[in-house]
Amino acid sequence: MKHKSPLAAAALVLAVLLAMLTLSACGSGTDADADTTAPAGGIALVDQTGRDVILAAPATKTVALAASDAEILYALGAGGTVVGRGEYCDWPSEVLDVPAVSSGAETNIEQIIALEPELVFMNTMAQTPEQVEQLEAAGIAVYSSDAKTIEETYSSIRDFGTLTGKEAEAEGIIETMKATFDAATADKVDGGTIYFEVSPLEWGLWAAGSGTFMNEAAELVGLTNVFADLEGYAEVSEEQVIERNPDYILTITMYYGEGLQPVEELLQRPGWETVAAIQNQAIIELPNNELSRPGPRLAEGVQALSDFVHGR
Amino acid sequence: MAGSAFRESFRPWVWAAFAVATAAAIVLCVSLGSVRVPFVDATREVWLALTGRPAGDAKVWSIVVSVRFPRVLVAGLMGAALSVCGCAMQGLLKNPLADGTTLGVSSGAGLGAIVAIVFGVQVPGLPLAGTTIMAAAFAFLSLLVILTLAYRLDRSLSSNTIILLGVIYSMFVASISSILVTFAGDKARTILFWTMGSLASTNYGNAALLAVALLAFGGVLLTKRRELNAFAVGEDNALHIGVDVKRTKLVVLICVSALTGICVSVGGTIGFVGLVTPHMVRFLVGPNHLRLMPAVIFGGAIFLMLCDLAARTLLSPRELPIGVVTSLIGAILFVNIFTAARRKGK
Repeated sequence: MKHKSPLAAAALVLAVLLAMLTLSACGSGTDADADTTAPAGGIALVDQTGRDVILAAPATKTVALAASDAEILYALGAGGTVVGRGEYCDWPSEVLDVPAVSSGAETNIEQIIALEPELVFMNTMAQTPEQVEQLEAAGIAVYSSDAKTIEETYSSIRDFGTLTGKEAEAEGIIETMKATFDAATADKVDGGTIYFEVSPLEWGLWAAGSGTFMNEAAELVGLTNVFADLEGYAEVSEEQVIERNPDYILTITMYYGEGLQPVEELLQRPGWETVAAIQNQAIIELPNNELSRPGPRLAEGVQALSDFVHGR
Repeated sequence: MAGSAFRESFRPWVWAAFAVATAAAIVLCVSLGSVRVPFVDATREVWLALTGRPAGDAKVWSIVVSVRFPRVLVAGLMGAALSVCGCAMQGLLKNPLADGTTLGVSSGAGLGAIVAIVFGVQVPGLPLAGTTIMAAAFAFLSLLVILTLAYRLDRSLSSNTIILLGVIYSMFVASISSILVTFAGDKARTILFWTMGSLASTNYGNAALLAVALLAFGGVLLTKRRELNAFAVGEDNALHIGVDVKRTKLVVLICVSALTGICVSVGGTIGFVGLVTPHMVRFLVGPNHLRLMPAVIFGGAIFLMLCDLAARTLLSPRELPIGVVTSLIGAILFVNIFTAARRKGK
């Protein structure tokens, strides 16, 4: 150890420096929190990654990078503020008329700056902190959402409403969603299991586990997700589905214009004949991302699942 | 198959040993899986199925006979096919690094499948034939492109040239695939499958297709074992001892591309199998293709069945992509073999 001392000393100095830097960074962070005072008539809130978002007035020009961001804005009646959308935004159909920008790893900051928005909505799943910094350096406010539960989705809808001056509309949407979920819960079925198929067998089975909106939806309507023991989305073995024998199957697979329709394909899988859901043809299709995006349409998804298990 | 050549190469007990080892691997892979099924139950259902009788236990039958057994068969047949291709290419090019993956043939076949998907190439009446034929055609074209370029740059076809070209070609193909993905929209996920490789949806139909392909093209490759021995010494040598060099080359290339293309169309690109198994088997039986080629068929089958077993069971109930397992195990074994060979050489 001793003969390495110059190196060790250097490492120590470096570590101390790093620690100081981290501490000071944290310090400045809390300072900023304390200083979060909106300019007169302005808006200040903390986004879902703990960053401050400050606007002088409700945003009139926004860019929505995640598909759920666009869904929330249009549901709020703030669709008119959207001057740019991420390429995967596809709901409602009006959003397709808005110029598309690259999102995710290919996000092109120049494209966004050229649209001159006051505020950019993005999702932590697809975007990076570096992209946020670049946008802020260009004087554009950024709201990062990170909603993984229905409760967190309410909070992002509320924040979206505040930032676009649609507080009342936001509360309205949340009330409607809550009413739908409450009705589904009041209507709970007594037990039963469900398997959520996220990707078809051909590419390897992917199932939704716990910590997903689909899992939450199952709980709301009184079902148990057969893959609740897995976290998030996971590739699972076909054998496991047969073994766990779900009473219901929900597939969010889209039809790609070739071969069998998703439900037909499920029904003819060799070896699945013993699965209860296949025997009873208890399969529901929700191919439009109702239960995979943190937005208002989660209510539609839960409603559809509830109607389905009650045979409505 | 030519009996005299076989007797010349291996004694009957060696064949018996290969058969027993392969059968043992099949039994192991069918009795183990993501879901624990008692060994007795699993073998009973397989036996009932083989003797054409109805299921004893419907659930066990579903898991073992309908899902697990065809997958084990496909893994075995594909492992055998990819390995015999790798072995033939290594002999033909006198290059220990030759294989579908390193030569870019697999990525080429994958590109063919992607092109078929994106442009909707279909053969009327045969649902999967479009991708299969395109995969095989692109595998052949890729091989032609790489070898033509290699000959132009370096007639001796040294390892460096071939591997360099293979890597460059794979990157080139990957970028074309990415461009196609950009325009593919919804079909992008299907494309991911071709680049990742998966044995998840394989059935008895796939197994039958692979069995026929292996019998036909693998059989032809086996008849070229003497020629491959001559090539392994050198192309000039082959020419001097009276081998029809051009014809042999063409036949081997066509068989390798067709087999690789069919494998890719069934399971996507599964790397390293064709590269590693011939080396492992060569360690056991020596470099003579008369012995090596048939042994590689068994060795490849066992290797991929065991890799798939690992993919199915290691993280159960989750499943690992098979390509990840073969690359991981393959890379480690490969380094071991290389260092061992070098130490031996010193």
